[in-house]
Amino acid sequence: MLKDITFGQYYDSKSVIHKLDPRVKIVLMILFIVFIFVSQNFFALIFSALSVFLVVLASKVPLKMYLKNMKAILPVLIFTAVINVFYGDGGKVLLSFWIIEINTQGIYKAVFMALRILLLIFISSALTYTTTPNDLTDAIESLLSPLRFVGLKSAVHTLAMMMTIALRFIPTLIEEAEKIMNAQKARGADLESGGLVDRVKALIPILIPLLISSVRRAYELAEAMECRCYNGGEGKTRMKQMKMKITDFYLSSVAVLMCAVVIVLNILF
Amino acid sequence: MGILEVKNLTHTYGGSSPFINDAVSNVSFSVEQGEIIGIIGHTGSGKSTLVQHLNGLLKPTDGMVLFCDEDIWANPKDIRKIRSKVGLVFQYPEYQLFEETVFADISFGPKNMGLCGEELEKTVTEICELVGVKPEYYEKSPFDLSGGEKRRVAIAGVMAMKPQVIIFDEPTAGLDPKGREDVMKIIKDYRIATGATVIIISHSMEDMALLADKILVMNKGEIYKFGSVYDVFSDVEGLRNIGLNVPIVTKVFLQLKELGVDIKTEIFTVENAIDEFKKLKEGNKNA
Repeated sequence: MLKDITFGQYYDSKSVIHKLDPRVKIVLMILFIVFIFVSQNFFALIFSALSVFLVVLASKVPLKMYLKNMKAILPVLIFTAVINVFYGDGGKVLLSFWIIEINTQGIYKAVFMALRILLLIFISSALTYTTTPNDLTDAIESLLSPLRFVGLKSAVHTLAMMMTIALRFIPTLIEEAEKIMNAQKARGADLESGGLVDRVKALIPILIPLLISSVRRAYELAEAMECRCYNGGEGKTRMKQMKMKITDFYLSSVAVLMCAVVIVLNILF
Repeated sequence: MGILEVKNLTHTYGGSSPFINDAVSNVSFSVEQGEIIGIIGHTGSGKSTLVQHLNGLLKPTDGMVLFCDEDIWANPKDIRKIRSKVGLVFQYPEYQLFEETVFADISFGPKNMGLCGEELEKTVTEICELVGVKPEYYEKSPFDLSGGEKRRVAIAGVMAMKPQVIIFDEPTAGLDPKGREDVMKIIKDYRIATGATVIIISHSMEDMALLADKILVMNKGEIYKFGSVYDVFSDVEGLRNIGLNVPIVTKVFLQLKELGVDIKTEIFTVENAIDEFKKLKEGNKNA
């Protein structure tokens, strides 16, 4: 059950998107998010949807994987849609009850918002499916590097290192948690039945050993890093240098063009 | 039949993924009441996976496990009952300690079985006496103990459920010589006190030769051999081929034989060796 948790859900299919510079990918994702939100009417939104869909296709990640992500977000999606249904003003009244009124404008809004959230999930999944967690943190570090001019150089590096370590240790901790769960189950612990309070209580024998071993691991890791002369970013070089390639420029231009089209569609309709 | 019986057990990790990997395939054996069984095998040979089936932590992909002639998965809801009858002490069990006091931690298992009040206290005290946890330790935090003491408390935590079969997965790993001896003694004492069946996974051929009645040799998820200590350790070539070895004493005798000394090589413990040397000495006198 714990093994089903995916995080940093990289899916290796060696597409064009995979080969993009991770920094470019992050910036482009932000751009996509911006034009999804800038889209004011259905034409613009449908154009955004098409562009997002194009990215999804180009990523060569099976659509099934994207839909798997939708499952988790479905309650939020439905909630947003339902709330928006009641907030339409104008349009034909479809249903009226006490102070609640549902009209076509409300339905329109609900669909519009749901579609927006859907697109957001798709585009951010596209980023995480095509970029390894390590590339992501490296890219974030690189993108945040201008902060050094305001005296935050070490902070940026520390943040990136913390993210890298956190990501690196997720599978280790999952494995550890499974071991501890098995050990407590062997001592007769009941993790599967009982009410909410019982279940939360049943977690204590797992969480405490897990916490203790994480602290121990942290100390060990810190020592191992110091033994290898880690001194926090100063003068550190990278094994994999990030370089912008010509495809990065091409795809960025296409994305900017798409953004322009959205703006034009917004003005036209 | 035996107290514990494994029939054609197969376990496949990864379900339907392309990385199908039989961790244990078609394993069958039977353990009699009161026996000490040693399990040896190279790293990744499926020993740990195998023992996790014996108390129902893992469900066999195929085949079954019988405890007292009953399929342990006959009623999946009752699987927790099996876990108190077949105790399993994991590798590095001290990492599972979590309570505020030693006494409370050892009580965890019996409490889960539904014991309480005086009965619980009596059971825990008994086990503490058996494994040598002194009363002045009862109210200490388990996290303040030394490595060897923690291991002792953790083992007591499983023994407190009074299992009829108790399985140890490398109980002496990471301990100093004194600690190893202590753990071995605890295991023997528990067996004498309760008559329980003991199954031990170990990489120490010496310990196996000393303790076990029978040895189960695993290789690549299959049983390579299941027989008496004599049967298993006489097969020197076979053991070496699968990344294992014979006890050091046996090695000494093998080399002496190679040097031309007329000597038995089926010597597996230091005591056997002393007897054999005595015989040799007397033989020389007589000659």
